[in-house]
Amino acid sequence: MSFYASTLIVYFFVDVLLAWALNLQFGWGGIPNFALIMFQAAGAYAAAVVSLGPDTGVNSFQRYVFGASLPFPLPLVIAALTGGLLAAVAGSFSLRRMRRDYQAAILLIVSLIAIQVVSNAVGLLNGSNGLTGVPRPLSGLLSGLTYDGYQWVYAAWAGAIALAVYLLVARLGRSTWGRALRAVRDDEDAAATIGLNPLGLRMQAFVLGGVIAGLSGGLLVEFLAAWSPAAWGYAETFAVFTAIILGGVGNIWGVALGTLLVQVIFLQVPTFLPQVGYTGLIDALQWVLIGTLWLVCLAIRPRGLIPARRYHAVPPAPGPGTGNPR
Amino acid sequence: MLILQALGFGVVSAALIAIGAMGFTLQFGLTNVLNISYGGVMTVGAFAAFGAGELHLPMALEVAAAPLAAALLTWLLGRTLFAFYARRGAGVFEMVMVTLAVSLILQYGIDAASGEQIYRFSFPQGASLHAGVFTFTVTQLVLVALALAVFGGLEFLLRRTRLGKALRAMAVEPRLARTCGIPTGKIVNVVWLLSGALAGLAGLGYVINSLTIDASVGTGFLPLVLAAAILGRAGSTRGAVLAALLLGLVTEEVAAAGGAEYSTVAGFGILAIVLLTRPAALAGQATAKAEITV
Repeated sequence: MSFYASTLIVYFFVDVLLAWALNLQFGWGGIPNFALIMFQAAGAYAAAVVSLGPDTGVNSFQRYVFGASLPFPLPLVIAALTGGLLAAVAGSFSLRRMRRDYQAAILLIVSLIAIQVVSNAVGLLNGSNGLTGVPRPLSGLLSGLTYDGYQWVYAAWAGAIALAVYLLVARLGRSTWGRALRAVRDDEDAAATIGLNPLGLRMQAFVLGGVIAGLSGGLLVEFLAAWSPAAWGYAETFAVFTAIILGGVGNIWGVALGTLLVQVIFLQVPTFLPQVGYTGLIDALQWVLIGTLWLVCLAIRPRGLIPARRYHAVPPAPGPGTGNPR
Repeated sequence: MLILQALGFGVVSAALIAIGAMGFTLQFGLTNVLNISYGGVMTVGAFAAFGAGELHLPMALEVAAAPLAAALLTWLLGRTLFAFYARRGAGVFEMVMVTLAVSLILQYGIDAASGEQIYRFSFPQGASLHAGVFTFTVTQLVLVALALAVFGGLEFLLRRTRLGKALRAMAVEPRLARTCGIPTGKIVNVVWLLSGALAGLAGLGYVINSLTIDASVGTGFLPLVLAAAILGRAGSTRGAVLAALLLGLVTEEVAAAGGAEYSTVAGFGILAIVLLTRPAALAGQATAKAEITV
């Protein structure tokens, strides 16, 4: 029971990082990042190959390109940088001014093709079998702990990272930069007229989101010790969108609530249920249900459970003592 | 030698991409719904043919099952589900999310129903014909001819018939078309049915060529179809065919040069390059106000 609880808590913190990354890009920046999960995967693969050690051939089924065994916390840093770098590359051609459905489709194509490449190019990251045996961080130093104890330490560590990222995004959301980003989202022409740089702001949000997503991937792979293409299908991105829209796009706490409901309760808890049918049946049905959940959510509560506060460009009704328009 | 032979494969690939992309772009250009569920519908079409084959139905029925099932499904989705969200004021992005949800439901519904298995798709390939360095099977030639027939048929429909004229008018200015007495509801029906039928044909062609079928065939094929439709400009069948030809040739050439696992990336590279170097080519259509008409 304690094992399940600590596992779910780690999943929650990882998923909430990913959700905040998307909230930054989509909720505030208006970028429909349908390739989101690819950035988490990039971080996970990066953290894995720099901590697995060289490809020694001992495990002959596992092949990967780059092998080093860097000490904690360097793999996490590299995971975050990889996510950001990939976002800069993907952003270079996908962030231009275009209709949002085009943008979504282009990013979706990027994500679908990336997964095909990683699955088929076996020498790169071991193809569809993925990488296993990723060492858990500080397991030498913490060897005195039981397995269960280690799980809780990891949960606390993931929580600390989530707190740090929360402080960052909450601050960014209130900052001038955050307001500028939302202004670009709402009216690009007007924002450009007052001297804002729409493409630059979108790129910054996209890269920062990529860094956070990459970090979440590193954190996840060091916990799971394994990563494969099965972990980052386009359905996973869709689940994050459902979570943040259900919770309330643009609202950090709403996004966290949506993550708890969709990613943890809806998607993770059933994996602890007894097996029904063949392996994978429950997984497949879960995705059918997630799709349905989104359709229902859009029909009955399009602005989410905790809607974002509307930011008024002009003070609503001028009354006595309205000093601050917000 | 290999490079030359790959041109032949490229043409066959291009034919399949073109059939899919024409159906996609026709529907997208008219309704402004970027329909991601198109991939799932391709899978449904392929499985309809597969099911008919398992029941030992005559081959004509097996082939007809794919476009029929896919057309019916697309029409139903368009007229009920997509129309419901469009009436509630869903914007272009929300509609993408709706179609993506349908795509998930279709893909994983089939996944669950088919027991996550990969099946052999047996289909007569006919004799191998040689022409110089090129080798085609009869079935491959039929697929290429089918793509050309679809292209010719759509061009005729769009340029030479009253229905096509009305359709083009509606794609440009739906409200004006309605005011002029064009039966817009009827045209939307035609477009959903046509687009679905082409999705079914593309899905069937894809599994005939690959000889295996599973729940993810449509989603696997979707990136190239989407890329061709975007590259060829929304609503343009000519553009879709040219873009499909380019993508088909490039992917097969890269595969022949030894990079089979990177062939789709190379195809996508073209789209990225166009986006980077000629954003204006897409900008005209890309920033115009889009009204969803379903």
